Amino acid sequence: MRRLLPLLAVICLSALPAAHGQGIELKETPAFEDDVKAGALSPVAARLPADPLLVRPAEPGTPGGSLHMLMSSAKDTRMMVVYGYTRLVVFTPDYRLEPDIAKSVDVESGRIFTFHLRPGHKWSDGHPFTAEDFRYWFEDVASNKKLYTAGLPEQMLVDGKPPAFEVIDPETVRYSWVKPNPLFLPALAGPDPLYIYAPTHYMRQFNAKYADEKTLDDLVKQYRVRNWSALHTKLFHPYHTDNPDLPVLDPWVLKTRPPADRFVFERNPYFHRVDPDGHQLPYIDKVDLVIADSKIIPAKTGAGESDLQARYLRFDNYTFLKDAEDHNDYTVRLWRTAPGAQLALYPNLNVEDPAWRQLNRDVRFRRALSLAVDRHEINQAIYYGLAIEGQNTVLPESPLYDPAYRSAWAAYDPKQASRLLDEIGLTKRDGSGIRLLPDGRPLEIVVENAGESTEQSDVLELIRDTWAEVGIHLFSKPSQLDIWRRRVYSGATMMSIDKGVEDGLVTADMPPDDFVPTTQAQVQWPKWGQYLETKGKSGEPVDMPDVQELQKLYKAWFNAADAVERAQLWRRILEINARNVFSIGLVASVPQPIVVSNKLHNVPEEGIFNWMPGAFFGYYHMDTFWLTPEGSNQAATALPKG
Amino acid sequence: MFHYIMRRVLIMIPTLIVISAVIFTIIKLPPGDYLSSYIDTLRQSHEAVDEQKIAFLRAQFHLDEPAWKQYLYWVSGLIRGDLGYSALYDLPVSQVVGDKLLLTFIVSFSTIVFTWIVSFPIGVYSATHQYSLGDYGLTLLGFLGLATPNFLLALVLLYFANVKFGISIGGLMEPQYLDKPWSLAKTVSVLKHLWIPVLVIGAAGTAGMIRRLRANLLDELQKQYFVTARAKGLSPFRALIKYPLRMSLNPFIADIGALLPHVISGAAVVSVVLSLPTTGPMLLDALRSQDMYLAGSFLMFMAALTVVGVFLSDLALAWLDPRIRLEGGVTR
Repeated sequence: MRRLLPLLAVICLSALPAAHGQGIELKETPAFEDDVKAGALSPVAARLPADPLLVRPAEPGTPGGSLHMLMSSAKDTRMMVVYGYTRLVVFTPDYRLEPDIAKSVDVESGRIFTFHLRPGHKWSDGHPFTAEDFRYWFEDVASNKKLYTAGLPEQMLVDGKPPAFEVIDPETVRYSWVKPNPLFLPALAGPDPLYIYAPTHYMRQFNAKYADEKTLDDLVKQYRVRNWSALHTKLFHPYHTDNPDLPVLDPWVLKTRPPADRFVFERNPYFHRVDPDGHQLPYIDKVDLVIADSKIIPAKTGAGESDLQARYLRFDNYTFLKDAEDHNDYTVRLWRTAPGAQLALYPNLNVEDPAWRQLNRDVRFRRALSLAVDRHEINQAIYYGLAIEGQNTVLPESPLYDPAYRSAWAAYDPKQASRLLDEIGLTKRDGSGIRLLPDGRPLEIVVENAGESTEQSDVLELIRDTWAEVGIHLFSKPSQLDIWRRRVYSGATMMSIDKGVEDGLVTADMPPDDFVPTTQAQVQWPKWGQYLETKGKSGEPVDMPDVQELQKLYKAWFNAADAVERAQLWRRILEINARNVFSIGLVASVPQPIVVSNKLHNVPEEGIFNWMPGAFFGYYHMDTFWLTPEGSNQAATALPKG
Repeated sequence: MFHYIMRRVLIMIPTLIVISAVIFTIIKLPPGDYLSSYIDTLRQSHEAVDEQKIAFLRAQFHLDEPAWKQYLYWVSGLIRGDLGYSALYDLPVSQVVGDKLLLTFIVSFSTIVFTWIVSFPIGVYSATHQYSLGDYGLTLLGFLGLATPNFLLALVLLYFANVKFGISIGGLMEPQYLDKPWSLAKTVSVLKHLWIPVLVIGAAGTAGMIRRLRANLLDELQKQYFVTARAKGLSPFRALIKYPLRMSLNPFIADIGALLPHVISGAAVVSVVLSLPTTGPMLLDALRSQDMYLAGSFLMFMAALTVVGVFLSDLALAWLDPRIRLEGGVTR
């Protein structure tokens, strides 16, 4: 879990008075007109909370239509929760937190959080959403040892202690810790959020505390699960949305029961946002997710089978997609991506083989490897020169950026690389010019990867040529995600190729998790990460001075007094990383193709397609995307950056 | 005969037990388990790993218990007719598989019919016109089908079907029919998509069938009874249909044993390339993510069908060709 700390100083989060729904004349959604007339649904004014959230779309839209998208497995239905991005509080594209489901949140000295709900807010089945839903989750779900065997989620524990929970009135709840909890609100606003409420009226029938024993036993049998807690857990997946009966607060509600090859989401009649014209959001009535193999999705997209697609499209699909643009009525946009490097090589500092461990830990060796990579050639040959060349570090848009971090040991200089390798003592060569290790083995580096894209193999092919010039033989070994990870964790892998740091757009207020050992998933030092993750039970303690220094700085960052000090600590961490070349970054900012139907409006021309921060389309308010009504030939105009 | 059938049925039991042990061992061989691969997938997309849910699933699937216990849990479920619970789909295995069986059956059955319709006349023609231009030409065609990589043919046909006929890429029907009940329009849509997998999968199978029928028929055509029949003035066509053709049908019947599991497994590689909603890609996914119950139970199901299929085809052969004696093989 990535964590953000932007709001220690924020006392009160509340929407501007102007953003409240007063004074807006609400209009009935066309899709619901018949139901409302027939009395099956209450009119729009009664469905919305008294205080709806006003969203100002770039271009006011017309409600209706259905949007088609492609996904590769039934589990991808969770993307609708990510794209819909409806949370108690949400991040804006400039990292501010704003209330969304909550009307406002009061924060007192970073440790007492009071949530004010919107009076009259309803679940997607029309049942009121109140403080009781928070109480139910906290007392009857999270604190129930049968349901949450491990206790409360870690973001809700400060020094291992849970908060005091109070229901102030039906629209107000409060969580108070003894010490500040900076992780709480960001966890609520994440793309995969922490849910601290549950639809009581639906879930209680599966909870032994409330349900009749006999009825519950029958249900357990009917669903073929082991006991009621398994049933409760199975049916309450607000993020991995797979239960069409579960009431939600998202803009679209799942209507298809898995297993299926097509999932339909329909608009939530009780969604709490409106536009300035008085239309209830979302604009789009229906979202159709068609499941197809991920490898066939670019081809299907190119055949015009998706109205909005980015997932499973890769940069190397760009020319193909662009070529089919004319006869399939869509436009390909290029959004930016935020990882610190599209791809980076990770020498495993914890590799089992002692000779290789010694080499990988020698900074001269890592620098030589980096200098022997021709990034310009990779950029030109594979990314049409659109990427940024350099190390795996923060991106130029980040306030912490320094060009020196990116260019450190990143120029193509085979002569200096050879000199460094000679200096280490790798001077002997075999008949074919490959250097020999001191024990006589040839200097053959096996670069392993998860085998998920041909892009990695293509890049390695180019690196192989330039490394051969300095006397290093590169072998590429595509594997499978699970197996590759196991090998890295156990120290069998000497080097890996993978994505760079996830978030290159960091600010000083975000913890520098990616640049110091924190988890075994960091493939340059898996065993150190494991040691910290398991609190010393397995793995190895850090025994490299520069990395120990990183750990110290990381601890200091959490105790830093202000943003200035945090920025200073960040810069030192980045500088140590740049100097040590712990990972060998190749290129960054590779554009992400976004295919947008010409009928679809309000999708920004430029944007950042990223998980966190970003929630993919979530930050760009997918509920304000709208489709040109059938029969109208008005084309969507591309908007300036939104 | 009864004695023979009983013996065969009893032998199936140890066979299936051995198969179940082998399946379980092989699925468990790679390092890690379903949860570790689930965690890796989450980590790769930087999603939060919910320790809570992991602990829950671990208990749910008995992952902390020794392997032999896990095996017993699985097998005892199988005996009771419970295929287990798929971790990957979070649904009972029977539901996951059941959903895909019908379409898999349609694809496989059409393919088999296609293979027979194509290879039968060609085989007969090649045998009766041995070494003629037609024999060489058709044999070449059959070998081309066998030699062309399935997935390549699938990709090429996919492209042309989309560009020339406007058929949606992959799948077995237009997306709008996916969750609709069966109707005329849906059937038409399925038929429009069906020909690609049928052609691709069938093309590979025809060559083998043609060659076997041709070889068998050639043997029979040289036998004395056929010469005698012709000498007695039986018309060539009637003589062919009446005797040698019947004899050469044996390989078709003997194939039933292999066909039965094939009908529900589909051709995995082609199905993955064409993104067909059949059991092949499902099995591949289950194996990759180490979904023990889904993969294991499905393989077990196929093993059972194979064992039953072989048994049935033996019986059918005995019925078709009285010269085949059953007892000899068993008592040795």
